[in-house]
Amino acid sequence: MTVDPATVREGDELPVLHLQPSLGMVIRHCALQWTFPAFFYDPEAAKAIGMPGTIVPGPLKVGLLYRAVDEWLGDAGWIRQVRAAHRRPDQTNDPIDVAGRVARIYEEGGTRRGDLELAIINHAGEPSVRGFAVVEFH
Amino acid sequence: MPDKSLLTDDVRALVGQESALGSVEVTPRGWRHAVEVYTGRVPESIPAPGEPVSGYAIAALEVDDESQGLPSLLPSSILISNEWEFERPFRMGETLKASHRLVDVHERFGGRFGYSIDFRAEVVYRDSDGEVVARSGRTMTQYDPTEAKARDAAGREASE
Repeated sequence: MTVDPATVREGDELPVLHLQPSLGMVIRHCALQWTFPAFFYDPEAAKAIGMPGTIVPGPLKVGLLYRAVDEWLGDAGWIRQVRAAHRRPDQTNDPIDVAGRVARIYEEGGTRRGDLELAIINHAGEPSVRGFAVVEFH
Repeated sequence: MPDKSLLTDDVRALVGQESALGSVEVTPRGWRHAVEVYTGRVPESIPAPGEPVSGYAIAALEVDDESQGLPSLLPSSILISNEWEFERPFRMGETLKASHRLVDVHERFGGRFGYSIDFRAEVVYRDSDGEVVARSGRTMTQYDPTEAKARDAAGREASE
């Protein structure tokens, strides 16, 4: 989907991105960043630090916020910033929803920009991440 | 909680200091792997050299240890935020200079961790003209798990 920059309005909601981060996704992320804390892929190591199971890395979740914005924005612009504030862990294989809305449309530096409020909602309906993004429209 | 602040002048002096991490390159392989990780899809085509690429590429550049240079003031630490920021899109094939910088450090005296210290650090990517292209930031909180557990138990007791 590509949003139409001419019609985007404050309050518009982004399509909800339904995801289920798998152990495979987590391991590929660990490989990409070449960092391998055992609690990301070993259930026993996760339990040893008080987690019920392996968890989704925080740096992976900022990329999932980016994906939700990228799929909404398409070719209509580019993403200047995305931020994730981690509130609670998400367990591997648990379903999550990435949601967002347009908070503000404005002009800056001769360009038309949008501020987006984002969140990752866990299967219990709680926000595991509060996020924010800035996009610049073409 | 310690008897006195752990944010000594030596610790505060680290804020703003940059350390070089060397050169990194936006490669087809790195970009493709990053896209696959975050989207679960293999890109249908690879951007030509010089063409803009999606910001996923920043994750493939982060190969060095960002925590270097951060003092260990309390026994445990936890990641509380991540940020990607771009001044312009990356271009396929470009070489960037990376450096690590401690942006801010401050202490907290309450909340679920009790006395804790937040370190906000970033890796800055600059092009061949020295212009900042992107930043990848993270905030880590250092805390004492003993104090955090005590506060957690006290909070539960108060709510019962």
